[in-house]
Amino acid sequence: MSESLVARAEAKDGLFLLRPPTVGLWREAPRKGSLVTPGAPIGAIEVLGQRIPLFAPHDAAGIVTEVFDEGRARSPVDYATVLLRLDPEGAGEAVAATAAAGDAAEGGLVFASPMSGRFYAKPSPDQPAFLKVGDVVETGQAVCLLEVMKTFNRVTYGGPGLPARAKVAAIVPADGDDIDEGAPILRLEEA
Amino acid sequence: MTEASSSPPAGLFHRLFIANRGEVAARVARACSHLGITPVFGVSEADADAAYCADHERVVLGPGRSAQSYLDPERLVQAAVQTGCTALHPGWGFLAESPRFAALTEAHGVTFLGPPAAAMLLMGKKTPAKRAMGKAGLTLIPGSEGVLADVDEARAVAEEVGYPVLLKAESGGGGRGMRIARSADEIERAFAEASGESLAAFGDDRLYLEKLVERGRHVEIQLLADKYGNVVHLGLRDCTVQRNHQKLIEESPAPLLDDAERERTLAAAIEATRAIGYVGAGTMELLQDKDGTLRFMEMNTRLQVEHTVSEMRAKAHGQPIDLVEQQIRVGAGQPLAFTQDDIVLEGAAIECRINAEDPSDDFRPAPGKLTKFELPEGEGVRVDTHAAPDYVVPPFYDSLLCKVITWGKDRDEAIERMIGALEGLTIEGVPTTASMHLAILRSEAFRTSAYDTGGIPGWPADADGTADAAKENG
Repeated sequence: MSESLVARAEAKDGLFLLRPPTVGLWREAPRKGSLVTPGAPIGAIEVLGQRIPLFAPHDAAGIVTEVFDEGRARSPVDYATVLLRLDPEGAGEAVAATAAAGDAAEGGLVFASPMSGRFYAKPSPDQPAFLKVGDVVETGQAVCLLEVMKTFNRVTYGGPGLPARAKVAAIVPADGDDIDEGAPILRLEEA
Repeated sequence: MTEASSSPPAGLFHRLFIANRGEVAARVARACSHLGITPVFGVSEADADAAYCADHERVVLGPGRSAQSYLDPERLVQAAVQTGCTALHPGWGFLAESPRFAALTEAHGVTFLGPPAAAMLLMGKKTPAKRAMGKAGLTLIPGSEGVLADVDEARAVAEEVGYPVLLKAESGGGGRGMRIARSADEIERAFAEASGESLAAFGDDRLYLEKLVERGRHVEIQLLADKYGNVVHLGLRDCTVQRNHQKLIEESPAPLLDDAERERTLAAAIEATRAIGYVGAGTMELLQDKDGTLRFMEMNTRLQVEHTVSEMRAKAHGQPIDLVEQQIRVGAGQPLAFTQDDIVLEGAAIECRINAEDPSDDFRPAPGKLTKFELPEGEGVRVDTHAAPDYVVPPFYDSLLCKVITWGKDRDEAIERMIGALEGLTIEGVPTTASMHLAILRSEAFRTSAYDTGGIPGWPADADGTADAAKENG
């Protein structure tokens, strides 16, 4: 069991919504009107009798405008429960909005995922990756494993609009990422 | 689905936590409703809005990934405790066979609806399990002494028992995490793939090894035991029709079985179940070899997907036996209300698992939205499902959409009814395996039971529509 937990933040309608990362009994909630700063303690979650401190994430802060189940000593909460609503206005220093990862397609060639699933760069944990940046990839060559519905699928390079040989400029997902169908796996350059 | 309005009978649980998802959760909830028990669903974020749990109490456990939802023991037990549940049903798959999960559940005052953690641990450890089963009179398959330390040990054991061999997940089930090695140069890759898949599916990468018994048939015994040493069986099932060790079609009774061998094995299975102090529903999986001998493979310490075909045939005192209901009663400490002599097994039953997979594209799993979902009805037809029109099949879990089960006075009638039912099944939006099932059911090889684990009868179908089972089984 973890020694501390960090709440999950969602930005919605100009507010930050904080949710717990697990299921448990939430206690020692901050009061309405108090200021929650990034990384500040926001009570604790009891899981199977053990008290685990809960902290605000580093990308959210603000004045507490709403507290879930306010006034109760301990409230059962789940992964979807909104514990706190924070208004970042008047929180003093501005909180940097989480910038969407600059996914500007640089107009180059992209090998996209044929299906949604979990991306694995290696054939097995103790083996080297199928590809690394700078490699030349050819039609039919294995690119990655995709775990879909608990089945491992070997994804091979190729497809309409792609050259038979290309140089790997970037591998987009990190090992273990969940990716959608059509999401870029490789950015490519002329070989 | 509506909430049960009545209270459960005295001595049964009022609230029961379902630590599973999809069709399994829907099946357990149905038994709860019959008994007047309120089910509480533990769901992942991906399942939170699904129709099958929409009218029920839910606890959102975590994200779609199973490791942080359906495979996290602490979250599940905490969720059960904080919602006031006094019993937890693990279903099948996920943590259903985890002794640690069973023990954790019980330690927090919640009744685990499965066997005692100790019996589970014993059956989960393959060598002690085999030893216990052998002692009770079951015939065994040669293989490794427990889990393999590494690929070198796998190679050594394989040399000893002889190739081909099968590498199997210690915590496995449902065919995940298994690979065949036919020679020494295949073992390294088989080992790596099986352990990787095991880790992803079961959170445990340990493997064991067995000699591969080829051209056999997969037969299993449904068992049920209470806390007082009473053990009964609900007959045998044949699950020989498999693809990549995934069962496709299951039926009961098992065809092609010698009466004496069946009776000998059933008696030994009951004796073994009693000897290990087993409680609840369980299944002994056996391999029927070319000589007709039934060899013990493993005991699944849980209910199985295909428990339905046994339910379709079994009656006690004129009433159908609901195995989930029996699990709940036994878990609450009730003795079995029937003996082996009270159980009547009638007719024949068959089940087809309809998956969201594309048979024309190497069974590629196909998550997506069901634009049309119409189920067959009729005499002797049962459909177990969690899906509904507009249901979105999430990419995180297995691809089962529904199970179609039919009963007939004999095997032929059950098959004819299944063909009719599958013709009446309309699913659009994702490809399904229904067409493959129809090809199998219509094949001569399936109708005459002339097949084994070496191939799927009637599939792939030839261009002229006739089966190439002769080639598969030649």
